[in-house]
Amino acid sequence: MTTDEPTDVELILAGIHEAGITLVASLPDINLVDLIGRLENDDRLVHVPVSREEEGIGIAAGAYLGGGMPAVLMQNAGLLNTCNAITTTALQFEIPMLLLVFYAGHLGDTAFMRLGEVTEPVLRALGIRTFIPVDAAAARSLIPQATMLSRQAMRPVAILLTKAVLRRFAA
Amino acid sequence: MRRFDCLRDVAPLLADEIVVTNNGGASTEWAAVGRPDSHLQVKTLGLCSSIGLGLALALPHRTVIVLDGDGSLLMNLSTLPTIARQRPSNLVHVVFDNGVYEASGGTATQTARDGAAAGVDLGAMARAAGIAAVHAVDELADFTARFAASLRGGGPTFIHARVEASRERVPPVAVDEVENKYRLVRFIERTEGIAILTRPEPASQAHRS
Repeated sequence: MTTDEPTDVELILAGIHEAGITLVASLPDINLVDLIGRLENDDRLVHVPVSREEEGIGIAAGAYLGGGMPAVLMQNAGLLNTCNAITTTALQFEIPMLLLVFYAGHLGDTAFMRLGEVTEPVLRALGIRTFIPVDAAAARSLIPQATMLSRQAMRPVAILLTKAVLRRFAA
Repeated sequence: MRRFDCLRDVAPLLADEIVVTNNGGASTEWAAVGRPDSHLQVKTLGLCSSIGLGLALALPHRTVIVLDGDGSLLMNLSTLPTIARQRPSNLVHVVFDNGVYEASGGTATQTARDGAAAGVDLGAMARAAGIAAVHAVDELADFTARFAASLRGGGPTFIHARVEASRERVPPVAVDEVENKYRLVRFIERTEGIAILTRPEPASQAHRS
């Protein structure tokens, strides 16, 4: 690729900005490290690194109640950690937030197969609408659309980010 | 020192501060003494300090008070370094430590200082996590003074209040979670002069007719 083409991370960041996201709570997966590095230095939003993903759901809920539009960036193992917070805070109080989830154990991955198998059934059980973009360009347009859907539905919406969306390039 | 006495004594000090309570005794007791429209009654054990942090970051000019408990904080200890890293000067985190899971039958938590529990000091944990303003109080007058001082900023403040295990008989709360959300959001909209529920979508997402 030529150097003036946007990278996958730049496309996803553009989607986050276009969606009007004001706060991102994050916990890293190795495939999210470049994106998290960009968020930490992004003066258009507040970046809150957390140590357990349930915190992120709480911080996101507070950010929405205070007039912001939040996202939580995590791996799908972390998504499983958030199930109680999603149920008894985000769903029970009807609070919008965008869940940006790296989809470990999906096509192209070499580990976490059990995690990959349960991820979509768990999201279905929670009643969370879930989208899987085919590449970063699709993710760029999907992020603002899913954010609006979340706000209108008053509940979380998830985007699962596969290895095809977050190809890692040398910095 | 009783938690209800602490809450009753500081309620008259508040104006338009936001109050976030854990799902324990502080929730119904604050509902009995505090103003209802600025009160969020969290239902996820441990999450009240995270929700309070999100509010404090979204509204940096507005004081946010979290009324937490020992069992609740122990479930979400990673909230302490997260708060320390963000350094919200407008966040006041009060932990009423009675050494038991009071709302679920009175079993000892790991802060209990007798029996087999660990006897952990939550104030020391907050200090170790990097929170600068940590105050341990076990007298009512001291609690009220520390609470009043924390309303003037300089946070994040962590007030570790050791209280006896006692729950005041208060009326049941008559709102569900969704009504609680709308009540708080409309309070914030009104007092901040902002639109939250009717916030416009980004222009790129507006339907073109």
